[in-house]
Amino acid sequence: MPEMSYAEALRSALREEMSRDPRVFLMGEDIGRYGGAFGVTFGLMDEFGPERVRETPISEATIVGAALGASLLGLRPVAEIMFMDFVLLTLDQLVNQAAKARFMFGGKASVPIVVRMAGGSGTGAAAQHSQSLESLLVHIPGLKVVMPSTPADAKGLLLSAIRDPNPVCFVEHKLLYKTQGLVREGDCTIPLGLADVKRDGKDATIVAGGIMVPRALAAAERLALEGIEVEVIDPRCLRPLDVDTIVRSVRKTGRLLVVHEACQTGGWAGEVIASVGSSEAFAYLDAPLRRLAGADIPIPYNRNLEQAAVPQQADIEREARAIVQARI
Amino acid sequence: MATPFIMPKFDMDQENATIVSWLKQEGDSVQQDEPVLTVETDKVAIEVTAPAAGRLAAIGFREGDVVPVTTVIAYILAEGEDVDGLPSPATPAKAPARHGAAPAAKRVTPVARRMAEDLGLDLGQMPGGSRRLTKADVESLRKSVPPPPGKAAATPAARRLARERAIDLREVSGSGPRGRIQSADVTRAADAPHAPPRRTGQEVQLTGMRRTIAERMQASFREAPHISLTVETDVTALEQARTRLNGRAGGEAGPGISLTATLVRLAACALERHPYLNASFQEDAIYLWTEINIGVATAVPDGLIVPVIHGANRLSVTEIARELQHLTEKAQSGRLDLADVHEGTFTISNLGMFGVHQFRAVINPPESAILAVGAVTRRPVAAKGGNQVVVRPIVTLTLSADHRVLDGVRAAAFLQELVRAIEAPDTLLE
Amino acid sequence: MTAGRSKARRAPVAASGNPPGELAGLEERAERLGLSREQLLEMFSSMCVIRRFERMADQLYAMGKVHGTMHLSAGQEAVAVGLGRAVRPDDYLVNHHRGHGHFIAKGADLARMMAEFLGKDTGYCRGRGGSMHIADFDANNLGANGIVGGGIPITVGVGLALQMLKRQQIVVGVFGDGAANEGVFHEAMNMVALWRLPVLFVCENNQYGMSMDVAKATAKLPIAQRADAYGMPGWCIDGNDLLLVYETMRRAAEHARSGSGPVLVETVTYRYFGHSKSDRNLYRTKDEIESWKQKDPLLLLREQLVRSGIASEAQAEALDQQAQSAIDQAVAFAEASPQPDLSSLTDFVYA
Repeated sequence: MPEMSYAEALRSALREEMSRDPRVFLMGEDIGRYGGAFGVTFGLMDEFGPERVRETPISEATIVGAALGASLLGLRPVAEIMFMDFVLLTLDQLVNQAAKARFMFGGKASVPIVVRMAGGSGTGAAAQHSQSLESLLVHIPGLKVVMPSTPADAKGLLLSAIRDPNPVCFVEHKLLYKTQGLVREGDCTIPLGLADVKRDGKDATIVAGGIMVPRALAAAERLALEGIEVEVIDPRCLRPLDVDTIVRSVRKTGRLLVVHEACQTGGWAGEVIASVGSSEAFAYLDAPLRRLAGADIPIPYNRNLEQAAVPQQADIEREARAIVQARI
Repeated sequence: MATPFIMPKFDMDQENATIVSWLKQEGDSVQQDEPVLTVETDKVAIEVTAPAAGRLAAIGFREGDVVPVTTVIAYILAEGEDVDGLPSPATPAKAPARHGAAPAAKRVTPVARRMAEDLGLDLGQMPGGSRRLTKADVESLRKSVPPPPGKAAATPAARRLARERAIDLREVSGSGPRGRIQSADVTRAADAPHAPPRRTGQEVQLTGMRRTIAERMQASFREAPHISLTVETDVTALEQARTRLNGRAGGEAGPGISLTATLVRLAACALERHPYLNASFQEDAIYLWTEINIGVATAVPDGLIVPVIHGANRLSVTEIARELQHLTEKAQSGRLDLADVHEGTFTISNLGMFGVHQFRAVINPPESAILAVGAVTRRPVAAKGGNQVVVRPIVTLTLSADHRVLDGVRAAAFLQELVRAIEAPDTLLE
Repeated sequence: MTAGRSKARRAPVAASGNPPGELAGLEERAERLGLSREQLLEMFSSMCVIRRFERMADQLYAMGKVHGTMHLSAGQEAVAVGLGRAVRPDDYLVNHHRGHGHFIAKGADLARMMAEFLGKDTGYCRGRGGSMHIADFDANNLGANGIVGGGIPITVGVGLALQMLKRQQIVVGVFGDGAANEGVFHEAMNMVALWRLPVLFVCENNQYGMSMDVAKATAKLPIAQRADAYGMPGWCIDGNDLLLVYETMRRAAEHARSGSGPVLVETVTYRYFGHSKSDRNLYRTKDEIESWKQKDPLLLLREQLVRSGIASEAQAEALDQQAQSAIDQAVAFAEASPQPDLSSLTDFVYA
């Protein structure tokens, strides 16, 4: 099984799908020779030509709108929005148009687009280039929202996203592009809507998304040395959310901690907690339902402040320990 | 400023209250809302709490005194104040008690009134005085209201385990924050090895109710010379009538008609013609009450209370059964109010459910009689008009009566009529 | 006014009315355009249907039968029909919220339109869309849009797909004078011109956004002039002259279809009804409305048809009555149709 980076895994998925299905094409800023701001599409234009790896002017709204329009005629565009922050410029086309076309038109339209976007902080890109906005998208009926944390998940989920007949928001994290992992050859599609238990445990359930997955796993290793075994679940797909897997886990452990980089207020941890709290797992809860999330501030430029603004591994350890030891 | 401590009014019709005991003495320091004395109004003992913190002074009344409500009975002095210059506590309060105005007589700031409404707190429960009740008073009233009994702070998992293993959470100590019970605590309690038995006892504090019952029973026994008369009565016909009524009532919503309910009805009818059993011995006279209000002795966790079915002779047995059910529920959940226990004129006490054949009850003052009912037992008896032995359901009734009010003959006549009614109850039960 | 790099004939900029000389030449103009008498009458009929439809919609609303609001295009029939007949039936249409006319001109089933209007399950969108979101994907009508300018980027994508798939069709993207000031208009104009997409942008300039006079909202008129900034042809014409619209649209469609790139056509017209049902017409005068009614495209065409002998007054009247009865039948169907079942509430969200 080859090892590759998260970015290479994404590229691999794009390459495979474009080879397999002539309807698939890419749209985005600087995705050609430049290879995309994070290098994901590097080399693809040489392979598939400028028509299918179509560089666009800086026109985010029309990038997504055009993707939508093309998909109505049966093509399968994968649009790249350079920074997740810019998805805000596309919201009319994404939310008012793409997410609703099928419904408004009585079930006749199908919008098989993928909108890839790079979110997250940690690179000193400051407030307008560091957001985690997936919670906004999770809220929209008609959209699917995917957030892979490993190269294998990235490839498997992107393949499924491209094949999905619905508009899929594919949320990547900047700090993950260079992380390495094993990726199976051959068919490695992962269905959307299926969470992954990345670590088994009995003392607490940690649900973590994106960049928080490796941090939660690292925290889990440290906690294991103290005899605390936490179960780490990566939802992978935030909409639709695999509530069943999470509920089953919390029923077993009796304790839940949800961790994400997105700001706390209105963040999707609330969705997970509400789902668990109103499920059969309630009667097995032995600790308050907790979450760790980004501070309710724009991301600061200063490195220390930037770090302090989002949950780090040590924070996850501390919170998990306090929950398991019934100190909160 | 010295705070006047007034005798509070707890009931719309209440004129007086009797001081049962002072829990604090002259000169003691008291906290706000701390119980200072117990008073009795119509069989219900109530603790009166201090309206302010300070020193209790100028106590003007003694135990046993009957004090009109809103009378100043003492003062709470603040630091540095003294007794001189205080008006005599016997001076009646300026605002006379007005019917139906009890809560309004208290002066309350608008904020406090709104808060109390929102929190569902009854400001009438607060001792008043001339000081206006403020938000702070409402806050401390709220804090002093104990949480509903039996509600421990526990996690859902702990609760589930406790249910499954039949553990009472109130007996589990919690290791979580603020004493929260975790599932591990429940497991520990369930698995704890049972301690070997020792001769230990438990001290039970006398609650207000217990103390009151103790005192009143003593007073009754001491002051009213009890005579007691016993009869046995065949309840075959009564049971048949009851079954018939229950069958009919069975389809409707409503409780079944108990034996006690039938006895309430029959006794009430009999009392119409035996007024001396429905009377009271006062200092100067015997009062024959017009209303027939039958109390039914009811066990509650702390002791005994006697809720009253007013006008029992005017109610049908079905209505009596319904009322009895209602009052019993209220009694057991501690929700009886003064009106429920007021103005009884005769009491029935039934220990039959415990298998007791016969017992003698103590009269419930200021009534003049009480009927003790034993268990229904099937016994061999001589058939009427013959020497054959038959088996019949028999109940033993024991009437205790106040010999100051009536003598044996009157008591016996009542019992005789009652027995006749029991053995041929039909018209009276319809 | 330039026509960009194309060699197409420049069409005259006309803001109001036509020179009298044109009126007399209806037959001549039709002949030049290759339109038969039957075709002319059919176009007239279609315009009658649109006018009657909009009137009926207004009536239904007044009777309290329509949930929500609607945006009526009475007065703009010449644009809808002139455009509709100038393009091919299988060309794609991306419509805007004042789009009943375009839908009808493209051959919509009146009954299903009415049913959608009344929110019934037999409507084009199963009652889920209503007036603002009617679509007929089978007829390549990709839906009306409730967001001003919302369809413009979508039009770009359709054009892109047509080019990539090497199809023969073009896509017509219709929007109003207000939408031309949305940011996406400029993004889209740039992109369609950059990639030479088979796109015909039609800007229906009916003089008003919602209540704002186009002259107050637009720094420089005519809007068609903007095309030059993006290196594509832009033509501004009198939208109430049916044959002028037809001729211009035909030319523009050929331009786009031939691979020469996109065209922007601005049609100057007028709407009689307010922006929506809540519009109390406080922003324009009765006189203004009346003066435009003098140039009513339906009236103009009818006069021309009768004057040139192509139809008698009675024939014209009969066609109008037929239009009315077609509408009446559609209404009857719609009213008799069932509501969507509540159990289907969450259908159609995901494929």
